[in-house]
Amino acid sequence: MDAHVLRITRWEVQRLVRLRWLPAMVGLFAVGCLVNAFLGLRSLRALGLTGIGASLDGLVAIGVLLPPLLALVLGAGALSGARERDLLSLLAAQPIRRSTIVLGTFLAVSAVVSATVGLGFGAALVVLSGVAGATDLWGLTVVVLATLGTSVAAAAVGVLLGAVTSNRLQAVAAAVLAWFALALGLDLLFAGLAPGLHLGPRSLLVAVLVNPVETGRVLTLLATRSDPATLGPFGAYLDTRFGLPIATAMLGSALAAWIVLPVTGACLALRHRDV
Amino acid sequence: MSTPEPALRMHGLSKRYRHVPVLDELCFDAPAGALALVTGTNGAGKSTLLRCLAGLTSFTGSAWFRGERLPGSIATRRHIGYLPQDVGFPEAATVGEVLELFCGLRRAAPDSTGLADGFVPDADAQVGTLSGGQRQRLATAIALLGRPELLLLDEPTANLDSWARGSLWETLRAHRREGATILVASPREDEVVGSADLTLNLSADPVRGPHALAELATVRGGA
Repeated sequence: MDAHVLRITRWEVQRLVRLRWLPAMVGLFAVGCLVNAFLGLRSLRALGLTGIGASLDGLVAIGVLLPPLLALVLGAGALSGARERDLLSLLAAQPIRRSTIVLGTFLAVSAVVSATVGLGFGAALVVLSGVAGATDLWGLTVVVLATLGTSVAAAAVGVLLGAVTSNRLQAVAAAVLAWFALALGLDLLFAGLAPGLHLGPRSLLVAVLVNPVETGRVLTLLATRSDPATLGPFGAYLDTRFGLPIATAMLGSALAAWIVLPVTGACLALRHRDV
Repeated sequence: MSTPEPALRMHGLSKRYRHVPVLDELCFDAPAGALALVTGTNGAGKSTLLRCLAGLTSFTGSAWFRGERLPGSIATRRHIGYLPQDVGFPEAATVGEVLELFCGLRRAAPDSTGLADGFVPDADAQVGTLSGGQRQRLATAIALLGRPELLLLDEPTANLDSWARGSLWETLRAHRREGATILVASPREDEVVGSADLTLNLSADPVRGPHALAELATVRGGA
C-alpha cells in the first residue's frame, strides 16, 4: 500500500482517538455488549436452557446499530472538518493524490470503529466464554465479521458524505439522517409500502441489498441459524430461493459494494471539487 | 539582450464563484528568483489566485510553472509550497506530529526550511497551547519544507511578531537568491514593498469588470 496512505491513516487515527466524546461512545458500546451478554444468559438460565443464542441475538442488534452510527459520524466529520479548518487544502497542496487523503481517512475511521467493535464484543466474550461451546464459536465469529463489515460500509458512506458536503455541521447532520434511514427508516418504509404496492419477495430482497445495515443483520441471521422459521421473511426467502452459500455470497458482495462504491465516490468527489 | 523565460506564467486566468467573477482574464509573468506581491482590497481574489496556482481550485485560462501547465503533476507539486491564510491543525496534535506528517508527504527533512532556529515552535508543544502567531509559524514551516521552487504564501506575516516577521523575510530573500519564485498575498503593500520585485494588483476596475486589472509593476527591475 502507498506509504502516504498509511501516513494519513496514522495521522487520522491519532486525531480520532483524542476526540473527547469517543471514549464515551466506546464505553457505551462495551457496556451495551456486556449487559446484552448478561441478560441473554440469565434469560436462558431462567428457562432452564443452555447456550448463548439469546446473547448472540442481542449482540447482533446492538452491533448493527451503534458501531455504524459511530462510523458514519466519524467518517463524515473527518474530511468536512479538515475542509472547514483549511487543513484539507494544505494536505491537497502536497505532492500526493487526493484519493490518498480519502483512502487514509477511510482506513483510519475503519480501524477506530473496528477497535471499538473488538473491545465491545471482547468484553461480551469474557462473559460468554464460560458457557459458550465449540458450536457457538461459528456464530460469534459471524456476528463479529458481519458487524465489522457493516461498520466499515458505514465508514465508507460517512467519508463520502464528508467529501460531498460543504462543512462539518452539514456532514454530521447528513450522517445522523443516513443512520436513521438505514437503521429504521428504510425498513419502516418498505414495511409500509410492501402491502400497498404488492411488493414481492424480489423487491424485498432489493430492499435488503440497498441497505448495508439490513444486509449485515440478515447475513448474521442467515449464517447463524439452522431453522428457516427463525430467519424472518428476507432471510427465509434468500435461503429457500438461493440456498445458504449463494445467499451468503450475495449479501457479502452487497456489503463489499457498500464499501467500494462510496469510497470511490468520495475519491471522485474530492478530485473534481475545489478544496 | 534576450528576456529570460518566466518561471511562472498566467494567461487569461479567470475564476468565477456561482457566476460572480473573482479573477478575470489575469495575465502575469514572474521570472525565477522573483518575489511578487499580490495585493488588492479584501475580496479582490488574492487567496483565490494562490489556491488556483496550488491546484486547489479549478480555473479557466492557463498557468504554467517551469513549462508545465498548472495544476501540475505530483512531481511538479513537490516543487510548490503553499501557505493558506488560516489553517487549523488538530488541537491535541503536537508540533512534532504535524511536522512528521508533512515531512513524510513532501519527503523532506524538518530542517530543510531554511528558517532560523526558534522560528518553529517546540516539537513537543501541543497545537492547542500555541498562540496564533506560533501556529502561523508552524504552517509557514510546512510551506517551506524542502525549499520549493514556487512559494505561494497567503498573508504569511498576519499574526507574526516583529522578530518572526523579520526572520521570515530574511528566509524568503535567501530562497529568492537560490532561484525560488515567491508570490506573497497581502492587503498591505507597505509591508512587502521593500522586498518585492513585482506587484500584481488585483484592484477593482470599473471598465473591465470587478477584478480585471492585473497591474504589473516592476518595482526593482526584476531579480
